[in-house]
Amino acid sequence: MSSPFPTPDAGNVESVRVTLNPDLGAELLVSVRGVTKTFGKLRALDNFTMNIHAGETYGLIGPNGSGKTTLIRIIVGLTKPTTGEVSILGQKVPNRQIAKDIGYMTQSNALYQELSIRENLEFFGRIYGLHGQHLRERVEAVLETVDLAERSRSIVETLSGGMKQRVMLASTLIHEPRLLLLDEPTVGIDPELRLAFWDHFARLNAEGVTIIVSTHHLDEAARCHRLGLMRFGTLLAQGQPSELTQLSGKETMEEAFLYFATRHKDQA
Amino acid sequence: MSLMRISALALRIVRQFLRDPRTLALVFLAPILVMTLLNLVLNNQSSAATLAVVLPIGSDPATTQFNQTLRQVLGMQSDSLTVKYINASDASSTLDKGDANGVLIFPADFATQLQQRGATSEQVHLRLDGSNPGAAKALSNVVSALLQSLARQSAPTGTAGASTAADSSLNVQSDYIPANSKDYTQTDALAPLFVGLFAFFFIFLLTSVSFLRERARGTIERLLISPLRRGELILGYVLGFTLFAVAQSLLILLFVIFVLRVHYAGNLGLIFLITLALTIGSVNLGIFLSTYARNELQVIQFIPLVLLPQGLLGGLFWPVNSLPIVLKQLAYVLPLTWANFGLKDVMLKGKGLEAIWPDLLVLVGFATLMVILSTFTVRSESA
Repeated sequence: MSSPFPTPDAGNVESVRVTLNPDLGAELLVSVRGVTKTFGKLRALDNFTMNIHAGETYGLIGPNGSGKTTLIRIIVGLTKPTTGEVSILGQKVPNRQIAKDIGYMTQSNALYQELSIRENLEFFGRIYGLHGQHLRERVEAVLETVDLAERSRSIVETLSGGMKQRVMLASTLIHEPRLLLLDEPTVGIDPELRLAFWDHFARLNAEGVTIIVSTHHLDEAARCHRLGLMRFGTLLAQGQPSELTQLSGKETMEEAFLYFATRHKDQA
Repeated sequence: MSLMRISALALRIVRQFLRDPRTLALVFLAPILVMTLLNLVLNNQSSAATLAVVLPIGSDPATTQFNQTLRQVLGMQSDSLTVKYINASDASSTLDKGDANGVLIFPADFATQLQQRGATSEQVHLRLDGSNPGAAKALSNVVSALLQSLARQSAPTGTAGASTAADSSLNVQSDYIPANSKDYTQTDALAPLFVGLFAFFFIFLLTSVSFLRERARGTIERLLISPLRRGELILGYVLGFTLFAVAQSLLILLFVIFVLRVHYAGNLGLIFLITLALTIGSVNLGIFLSTYARNELQVIQFIPLVLLPQGLLGGLFWPVNSLPIVLKQLAYVLPLTWANFGLKDVMLKGKGLEAIWPDLLVLVGFATLMVILSTFTVRSESA
């Protein structure tokens, strides 16, 4: 049986020991309760339950079609679940009050191609209520983070794929959200940049930002506090990366996933 | 050159469009729709010009005879002339409301004076509505011919001198309402309508494509999950596009006034007001309809639907009053029709706010309806 994961690439993220920020405790940030989503006959999510703690990076791992994107879109409020509900910081989603605390990033380049990087950032900043000096400071800050300060006047259309991805990340961070939902943020970007992104995610965690990220890269999985293995809209297994490998008695995450997938099939 | 490759391409194109019912409708149904509309309008127009006549008053034999003759002669005119008989007191309002293109006023004792003395102290009065130059000219000609033939018929028999006097009494004094519309040409009559049409069409197209691209790129999703309210999204678009529309209207007006040297009578501020109301409606129509389009081609498919009925029925080529009843009712539902009423009243007849407020009301109502519809239907690519 062929592996559902792409072969690990050369730019492996080093295994880093991840610990939760002790100051935050286990405050519940996102609560997904019994969420099912059907599109006609297709069941994208099946009675999904999951809790995300403040300050952690939670990785969603699974093949295409496992429901990762649907789950993220439901949490963010773009799609309504067929049954079940999601709450963020105790508020049922979608909720305009918490909109300003959420940052959402997709792989598609949801940017205004005719505008410059700076103009895009200023626009999104203003939509989130930033203005004046504060806006200017945040624009400079995120440009620094993604290392595009020198090209801030470039028109987005003229940028390479990786640069556009960086601009996307910058625009997601500009309003200093407490919760980040990242749907495969590192697809199509080079290993060096991937490392830079994940270094930044670790810094954000240290500041108390919660991150839910879906990924195919297993070396990235190792840098998450906890992982949720998904397949066919259900949670196969959940826990710290080390726990999952231990539990399955396997060496690599890939094998651990296969283990849980097979076990699930047998139980069904 | 490979026939196989060429035909593979042709086959693929045919297959693509067979799966696209909306484009097929555009290509096959739209021409039929246009031809049907044109046919209905051209063949059923009630008349090219309407003349209102104030007859001489009196029950004496001279007047009765004269009126009878007059009616006979007028009745024999071609089908393109409609004649109404009205009271002197209604003369102004008839012209003002547009119920007639011209009013022919005979002094009350015209017939008696003519018969007795072969001349009259007052002249026949023809008041023409210059805002429809074609009709005005037609009526002018009809009335001259009419009066000549009346002169021949009513001249008292006898001396040669008498017939000359009779001729001069049947000269007509014509004046135009409003005063300077005497020189109006067809361009003058059309200019206001083009202001409205361009504003509506280009802004609609621009807005719907732009909004569609917002959805296609996924930026609309980012906006939908942000603190931005839907109403704010719509209003932001309205503001942005209205700026362009106003700039465009300004340009068109300046061009029309200074380059084409079109005559216009009314208040520029009112012209802007009407254009503004029309534009806001058209921006929101664009946003609303773009919900039902997945790509730019589908937006283009809306153009015949949005533009053709309004262009044909809105009073641009044929007066709304002359349309067959079904089409006339349809015309009254279209926003451009009302904008045209208002623009014509202001630019050609020099009327003010008190005359055009119903038109503005309709336009504002349409815009409001569109804003509400857009706010409720705005959604992402895949809700």
